Amino acid sequence: MLKLNEISKGIIEGDNEAVLELVKKALDDNVSAKEILDRGLVPGIRKVGELFGAGEYFLPELLVSGEAMSGALKILEPELTKTKVKPVGKFLIGTVQGDVHNIGKNIVAMMLKGNGWEVTDLGVDLTPREFCSEVEKGDYDILGLSALLSMTMPAAVETLEALKKAGLRDKIKVMVGGAPTTQEWADKAGFDGYAADAPTAVEVAAALIGES
Amino acid sequence: MRKMTGLERIVTTVKHQEPDVVPHFEISIDKKVRDAITHNPSASYADFIEYMDIDAINIYDKISAWSYKPLSADNKIRQDQWGGIVQFTTEDLGHPMVPAIKSERDVDTYVPPNPDDEWRYDELKSLVKRFKGERAVIAHITDIFNVAKESLLGDVGYFENMIRNPDLIDRVNEIISTYDLRYVDNCLNVGADMVLVTGDWAMTKGPMVSRKHTKRFLAPSLRRIVELAHSRGVLCLKHTDGNIWPIYDILIDAGIDALHPIDPMAGMDIGEAKAKFGDRVCLMGNVSCAYTLSDGTIDEVRQETKEVIRKAGKGGGLICMSSNSIHSGVKPENYVAFVKAIREYGRYPLSFD
Repeated sequence: MLKLNEISKGIIEGDNEAVLELVKKALDDNVSAKEILDRGLVPGIRKVGELFGAGEYFLPELLVSGEAMSGALKILEPELTKTKVKPVGKFLIGTVQGDVHNIGKNIVAMMLKGNGWEVTDLGVDLTPREFCSEVEKGDYDILGLSALLSMTMPAAVETLEALKKAGLRDKIKVMVGGAPTTQEWADKAGFDGYAADAPTAVEVAAALIGES
Repeated sequence: MRKMTGLERIVTTVKHQEPDVVPHFEISIDKKVRDAITHNPSASYADFIEYMDIDAINIYDKISAWSYKPLSADNKIRQDQWGGIVQFTTEDLGHPMVPAIKSERDVDTYVPPNPDDEWRYDELKSLVKRFKGERAVIAHITDIFNVAKESLLGDVGYFENMIRNPDLIDRVNEIISTYDLRYVDNCLNVGADMVLVTGDWAMTKGPMVSRKHTKRFLAPSLRRIVELAHSRGVLCLKHTDGNIWPIYDILIDAGIDALHPIDPMAGMDIGEAKAKFGDRVCLMGNVSCAYTLSDGTIDEVRQETKEVIRKAGKGGGLICMSSNSIHSGVKPENYVAFVKAIREYGRYPLSFD
């Protein structure tokens, strides 16, 4: 009988091929997709987040583990959809106007998905209007703004202001992150949440919707 | 003490001796900020350096010595000289969209740019002619990490292959390093006074890659540039953003003479840096361009400048600079106040002694 912690181990080691093989085997053994996710993949990616937080893992390790996680999720998604597993929450993410750096955003999106969030990635270099339009038509819990440059930090604040002006501020929690940003700056600007890195973003997002 | 030239000031402080005044220059200064200060939109970057009497001018390779092929009618999407597709926003520098190398086979047939193209050195030649002996003329080189992540393999490709295919990283690094060394050699032949290597090795939280990977993939090419510079009797300065506490010794062991910017946004304190490694390298930094120079008052700029000089200026070993560059969000009046404050508080012997 397959031990689901072997899947966790594969995720932690970023062993793409082993994870895919183990997930397929688990499904063949009639282990439910939800159980594979909850007891195999999620503990693995959480451990990766902890190792990153502790300074033992870096971007290469985070990315190869994320790749293994994404591959496994692709296999599980049809099963999860069939069994109507409810996501933890709905997260809208994008980089602010003038900023096309997407690696940080992508890692946050990957970590959120790995932790059971439904993530809609709007892409990069988005105007405040584009964010407002998507918030208005969607049913999201949290909007995550990524600003990787000092010079694009004002665009994050402008997006927040645009949401207020459009009467959408109460509809959604807004988080911000990116290399030059800080908790102090985020608090001063009026964001609901701030995260210095992807694993923290997952924790903050959960706290914002009362799931921590 | 007699008034030193900008070049003398920088060389003196890098050698950990006290110059007449703490030197200053910037990696780049946005045109909007420059124009607002000079009230002369036709003034060149070099004109601005002279107007503000700045001690050095940095010739940014991506701006002056790289070629680009336009791919869109508005020229916002271009292919850089390495084959990477780059998007330009309102700022001067482009941002990567699609890397040049998508598979290992692409490396076999890859043709790198030619560092011996004469036109690459036109700007440098003209600045050497204008400033030689007065101000430090700095040849800037973008390091292998930056070029590989942004143009050749893409950031995800580069990071993942550090683990999955390290030989591929070695091959790509060698391509870039060969170009870099030849480019630096040519710049020194033309008359550059020093070399500045940029490329961020760290984020706010800490290094992008482990110490093992930093030593294996990033440090060797930096060391080769340093050795070349030193063999020609010139200084080699290094810039990296981020929290470098876990890897600062690797940077210093590569032989660099000065380190920029001791990133305050990443929690790096220049006083602590002075105490820990300020005797081994000259510190360059670190007045915040994310906060103080962009949003602060003139008084806040003056106070922060004074504090940086107080913490790190004693005995030389400090070039007072912003924490990254003078980007378009910096208030022009704050930049002027910054430069004035350096000259006021940075006169040796320092009044805090």
